Amino acid sequence: MATESPEQFDQVDWNDLSRSGRFDLSINSIGMLVTALPLALLGVYDWRFVGDRTATFEFVGLDRTLETVDFLFIFTLLLAFWYLVLPLYQNPRRTRYYWKEFKRNRPAVVSLGWLGIVFVGGIVGPLVMNAPQQELLIAYQPPVFTSVVDTTPATCVGEVINGRCHGTWQHPLGTTNAGRDVFTMIVYGMTISMQIAFITTTIVATVGITFGTLSAYAGGWVDEIMMRFTDIILSFPTFLMFLLILYIYGAGLGMFIVVFSLFAWGGTARYVRSKSLSISEEEFIKSSRISGASTYQVIRGHVVPNVASSIITQLTLLIPGFLLYEAQLAFLGIGDSTVPSWGQLIAAGRSDLSFAPWIVLAPGIVLFLTILAFNFLGDALLDALNPEAEAENA
Amino acid sequence: MSRRGMNDSDDSPHVGRRQWLSALGLAGAVTLAGCSGDGGGGGGGDGNSSNGGGSSGDLGQEEVYATAAAASFSTLNPIYNSEDGAGDAIARALDLGYVFDENNEYVPLLYDMSTEDGEVWTFDVREGLEFSDPYGEVTASDFVYLIQEIHQSSWASSVNSTNWTGVEVEETGEYEFQATLETPQLLWPESFDPLLYPIPQELLEPYVEEEDTEGLRQDEELLELQFSGNLGPYVLDEWQRDGGTRYSRNDDYYLRDADDLPDAFNEAPYFEAAEVQVIGEQASRLGALETGEVDSAAIPPNQVESYRNNDEIYVNRIPQPYNEKISVNMRDNGWTTGPGNMFRHVPFRQAMAAAIDKEGLIEGVFRDFAQTHFTWQPRFSNFYPPEEDIPQFGVGDSYGSEVARGLAEDAFAESEYDYRFDGETMVDPDGNQVQLSLYHSAGQNTEQLMADFIAQELGDNLGMDVTVEAIDGTRFNNEYWQQTDYPTPETNEEGEVTNVPDELVDTVNGEEVEWTQPTATNPGPRNVTSNQEWDMSVVFGLNTYPRNPLTNNVFFEGANPLYNPVGYYPGFDAEQLFQSAREATTQEELADALIELFANLAEEQPYIMLAFPDDTVGYREGLEGPIENFSNGWDLAAWRYGE
Amino acid sequence: MGFGRYVTARVLWAGVVSLVITTITFLLLSAAPNPDVQQATTQAALQGGDPAAAAERARELRGLDEPLYVRYFDFIQGVYTLDWGWSSSRSQPVLEAVVGALYYTAQYSIPWTILTVILGPLVGVYSAANMYSWRDHAATGFAFFGYAIPNFFFGIILLLIFGVWLEVIPVVYNTDVAVFSVENVVQLAIPVFVLVTGSIGALMRVSRNESAEFQNSDFMKTAKAKGVSPLRAYAYHVMRPTLVPVSTTLVGQLLALFLGSSLLVEVVFGIPGLGRLTFEALLSQDTNLVLGTTLFFTFVAVVGNLIEDLVFTVLDPRISYDDR
Repeated sequence: MATESPEQFDQVDWNDLSRSGRFDLSINSIGMLVTALPLALLGVYDWRFVGDRTATFEFVGLDRTLETVDFLFIFTLLLAFWYLVLPLYQNPRRTRYYWKEFKRNRPAVVSLGWLGIVFVGGIVGPLVMNAPQQELLIAYQPPVFTSVVDTTPATCVGEVINGRCHGTWQHPLGTTNAGRDVFTMIVYGMTISMQIAFITTTIVATVGITFGTLSAYAGGWVDEIMMRFTDIILSFPTFLMFLLILYIYGAGLGMFIVVFSLFAWGGTARYVRSKSLSISEEEFIKSSRISGASTYQVIRGHVVPNVASSIITQLTLLIPGFLLYEAQLAFLGIGDSTVPSWGQLIAAGRSDLSFAPWIVLAPGIVLFLTILAFNFLGDALLDALNPEAEAENA
Repeated sequence: MSRRGMNDSDDSPHVGRRQWLSALGLAGAVTLAGCSGDGGGGGGGDGNSSNGGGSSGDLGQEEVYATAAAASFSTLNPIYNSEDGAGDAIARALDLGYVFDENNEYVPLLYDMSTEDGEVWTFDVREGLEFSDPYGEVTASDFVYLIQEIHQSSWASSVNSTNWTGVEVEETGEYEFQATLETPQLLWPESFDPLLYPIPQELLEPYVEEEDTEGLRQDEELLELQFSGNLGPYVLDEWQRDGGTRYSRNDDYYLRDADDLPDAFNEAPYFEAAEVQVIGEQASRLGALETGEVDSAAIPPNQVESYRNNDEIYVNRIPQPYNEKISVNMRDNGWTTGPGNMFRHVPFRQAMAAAIDKEGLIEGVFRDFAQTHFTWQPRFSNFYPPEEDIPQFGVGDSYGSEVARGLAEDAFAESEYDYRFDGETMVDPDGNQVQLSLYHSAGQNTEQLMADFIAQELGDNLGMDVTVEAIDGTRFNNEYWQQTDYPTPETNEEGEVTNVPDELVDTVNGEEVEWTQPTATNPGPRNVTSNQEWDMSVVFGLNTYPRNPLTNNVFFEGANPLYNPVGYYPGFDAEQLFQSAREATTQEELADALIELFANLAEEQPYIMLAFPDDTVGYREGLEGPIENFSNGWDLAAWRYGE
Repeated sequence: MGFGRYVTARVLWAGVVSLVITTITFLLLSAAPNPDVQQATTQAALQGGDPAAAAERARELRGLDEPLYVRYFDFIQGVYTLDWGWSSSRSQPVLEAVVGALYYTAQYSIPWTILTVILGPLVGVYSAANMYSWRDHAATGFAFFGYAIPNFFFGIILLLIFGVWLEVIPVVYNTDVAVFSVENVVQLAIPVFVLVTGSIGALMRVSRNESAEFQNSDFMKTAKAKGVSPLRAYAYHVMRPTLVPVSTTLVGQLLALFLGSSLLVEVVFGIPGLGRLTFEALLSQDTNLVLGTTLFFTFVAVVGNLIEDLVFTVLDPRISYDDR
């Protein structure tokens, strides 16, 4: 860690250091540690001691397997809880202010509601609903209130009137070519979307903030190298590269998340760097430096919190991109087809589009709404969090 | 090939199973083009008379005969093409040596084949075959040169090279040459091994002198079929790499003068032009058929019903010899759930076959457009054993949980490990449920449906936990199915094997067997394995070779045939049966040996056999020529629209 | 650092970036097993030859027996001398394949870019002029709609409606029609529409918000007071300053779409352009073609970023060359 001026022993305020040193943990960090530890232990247990295909919770008799992606997901959920939700609760005044600002944007409130549904559906859905099973005999059931020619479904679950098979509430959004319930599959797809959203955001934020602040604070040739590296990352044809990796080595959802988030932080890093450069010029930073705070303390205590609020917007606007990429890969038939994502569902129904359009339409519309919601939300957050900024990143 | 993913419910995995087999030199995929449903084949005739036929009567000549292909072609170079679709495209402009008609009779096109004993075969080349200028007439020497200098060379690695290994060829006249086989084969033509394209000797000579493989591969005359002369019903005008091929009528087509063929050939072809359009998207292919942009296209089983209600289109159902089956890995890297590979026990494979409802599978996945598959032959084969002689696992009394469990118990008794049923679930010696994976090609809807169905049936009826996994076809082939890095025996200068390493020796049924010629698809005994472990797969279907079932020796002749990725060791004397079939001098002897072979295979279930899906092909109403037979398309040049 | 030197440095840097990405692609592909070698081995085994020798021979033929760095230099030399090798999955030179595909890609890319560039700022300024009216809301709604709807999904829905149900556009893309013909316009209308919808949203938003600033500026008021026609006033006083930030957004937007969505659109509509070429090259593991198309896209990305930076520097005097 390069410091601009070496610390002088007599300038160091020891009291300050012992109070707000790097080992002084906030309640948030303690909470995070306490909850993440069992998760880490479970992860190690799953990795080292449990057979490849044995359920993780077999030791308590639960038949539920956690994949690496699940572990990461839970971890990011914990992060979000301790560092995003809890601070809002701890600062009721500020929260009320944000909410007031935010509330003015009605589409954004609706969007938040929709994303809430997707979030809760994604977490609770798979726990209360059984995974969709293949039942070939009930393939191509139409959605409720609609009907199709009787030759389309293998056998009709609902009524057949005038040679047309009518949909039923049993399968409110119809069934796929394998007789899987489309509604159930959409709920399962929510989990995947939420996993992608949370994990990628966390990785992008971590790498981007670290890289940006380090670059800003190191300055000189280190800054130059780091920023040139960012250039490369930014001009990388990620989608193409992922296709390449996929084809040479094969890849699942985990690989997708890693590759895409590892090539998506370029913009964040640039943004954070310029932001921290301007913050470091602020008076309060100078004064804390003079009072002997180390570079780490300055970054950790002042720069990151100041930058964080503004990059939330940027991150929110990144998520729809990831969801879109996943769907595109799935559509091309080269995604991880064991993952029940919306994109997979769209891909599965593609060749049946002319006679069973609901298989594509239902997940497509849900995907569209979700991307739309993230955009509205990002737009509104921009207004609420930094009122001075113009809504440029529509 | 890039079909996977683009046309989901099309039934061809990434490496199209036909193309893929032929890439191994096991079958002339090109010759099978006729059964792909997209047309293909040619006409026939062996005489040579000038019966007129140039009167170009207006017998309902429509303008263009267009067909749809799902994937673009890698090459149209006849020496290097191994794809089904491209074979179709070549066949429009260049006939092959012979075809089989709807009665499975040999129809000579370029040459007739005859033999006394099955060992020495005489090829009679038809007279009047002309290459384009400057190559002149097609003679026996062109064929002999092609065989000796290309197919039998060490440098050219043509796709047909394996067919000519050990065959001695000799030119015996201007229009006649002889081939002597190592072992007699009564059904040699039926194996499609002696099938040749006509290629001018002068065109090949420069490449042969230089041993220039790349040059031969990239030769423009070969790629554009510029030498085809009067050798095909159409002349190739243009090959658009993404769009397909375009042809115009060949007025000099040699079969017009043949007098031993149906009269329909006298005026052939009946279209002014032909096209093969590459349309990747299945929905678009069907759309093109509906609007009349193409005259035929394959129809997925779940839409056959609705097309049967369409007045402008009729749907033919064509039985096929390509099977759907589960490959179970009997090598050391199979059965990943625990010790003691249960797949090696015959009763266990029978139990799996009995646990899967074949009729349910056919109804659900193939919408009834498939045939049950009990032994390694389709029912239309002349060598299909009598129904009562073979067990019919997976239907009627031989289907269900009880039967399957009973058979599995037998297998457990054979095994030295303590596998058992714990209530409903099958458990390993430690008491954990048996958990296996099942691979299917990514993006293949039909295959995925089938895999899910299998997983459910094995779960319900045998209490196994089967995980279905999608995989890229090429990747599966390279990492799981084949092994290129295997131990090789030491050889002396003459190529004779002098020492076989221990890894290549195994005891099969009490006898020591040496793998003296390991291949990528049978790299050695069960201890030699592919890089990645796997349990079960439905990725590749295989040809069952109903015309010449002897070709199945590549799969089942003893423990070390050419093609045995799963590590199957026959529990009966398969080598003996193949030997007696080969040595048979009459059709009866041949049939007896083969029928016994197939009865044994039905018992042993080397692969868990499931179904033979039919091709369902839609044609524009009024098109005359298509037949609901495996030989469909053999007389494609004579197809036409009726009045 | 003067402007000239900045541009030189930036261009040189673009060259470095392209080299780095090319190198990564090369390394990725050389780490993968070569299907040709495997095929040769199999062939040899089936013919009763020695597979090891065959593999050796195949490797020799393809120059794979050379050390990695030699192959790398050969490869780099080939790249910059435009000797991109032979595409085994199409039986034609790679360069020919790329150029051929570019022809089709250009046919929809050019109208798409032009329409986006013209319509985006226009609608944005119009929207700003009618701020908070129903027109503005409609335009904003459209912007968000276009931005959020997945291109490929929108494409197949439109194809279903107009191609299959209404039968007003052909389902199969026809490569035979002349570039400037009605048929070509008809068959490209929907793909261009889909792409424009996807790319126009961001532009509209930026130009709307930017021009809103100038809307009430003093010079605008002066112009109005002087009796300048509204059209003229908007064109001169609002459009012009708005274009500065807009143009930078534009390059990034188009680039992102070009690299990602155009592939999907080509697949959906069956246009044999660059995206599909790349995709099929990957599927058939045609190494030379994969490298060729990757190179092409890399160059486009690098050059695009270069242009974006340069335009930004030229247009916005507030940015100094040193602060980059």
